Amino acid sequence: MITERLSSDYVEMRFGPRWTYISCVRRFVASFFMIGLSDKERAEQISMAASELLENAVKYASEEEGYLKISIAKADNEVDVCVKNKAEPHHINTLRRELALIQSGQPEAVYLKKMEEAAMTEGQSRLGLIRILFEAGARLRLEVNDGEVSIHAIFKLEAA
Amino acid sequence: MSNDRGFIPPLKVDTLTILPLLDGDTLRVAMSGAVEMRDPGEVLNPYWTLIDDEALRQNLKIVELDVRDLNFMNSSGILTLVRWITRCKSHGSGYGLVLQYDRNVTWQRSSIPTLAKLAPNVVVSAEIDG
Repeated sequence: MITERLSSDYVEMRFGPRWTYISCVRRFVASFFMIGLSDKERAEQISMAASELLENAVKYASEEEGYLKISIAKADNEVDVCVKNKAEPHHINTLRRELALIQSGQPEAVYLKKMEEAAMTEGQSRLGLIRILFEAGARLRLEVNDGEVSIHAIFKLEAA
Repeated sequence: MSNDRGFIPPLKVDTLTILPLLDGDTLRVAMSGAVEMRDPGEVLNPYWTLIDDEALRQNLKIVELDVRDLNFMNSSGILTLVRWITRCKSHGSGYGLVLQYDRNVTWQRSSIPTLAKLAPNVVVSAEIDG
């Protein structure tokens, strides 16, 4: 795994999408933002979002590379957690539907409904995105470009 | 997994440890470490089912799940609790499930009260400072 602090504005990591790296990245991101923001709650929310997005990438990526970029947009007072990976078209379509669904209602009601539905079915939880939206209070944005999926979890920071 | 006396063994897998302790008609279940494996349902679903079965068999009044020393739970781990709560809700007059959490731990403060809302008649969340 290569970790590079490129500027004061973003942190970027590229690594083989191995499950065992995820907890290590989560702890790093939490520590990094704990120091940078002096806000334990926000740091833990950002690290949880990075962890959930990376779990999805490892589960659904079609190629052997994971990419995480966390940018701090000082002008907008925002942190953008972006995970990018190649994915098969049917996974991309599922993701589009999923995102449209969870953004269509009141977040807590959608979260509870998704939990109830997930309990009745076998397989993956599919609770990661709605968890980021509801529990961490982030906005979610999806970009698809030539089979490459980027999911952004965007956090508004308290004004300094 | 349980013996004749209904004792439920501890569970240790990866970074997660679960210690159950029977105290009168209350079963206290303490979790520590982290739930961050790829498929926690593989080990946790059967374990929660075992606890559920024993709690019913022994007519326990309360099962306390203490997650205060659990530093993280991924969404697949959350789903195992959702399955347990759903099962618990279906019993009607079974035991009460108390989810104890530390309000100073961000994931616990946001996840646990939401879980309790799935079955407000049988599940309560108990916030503790530390």
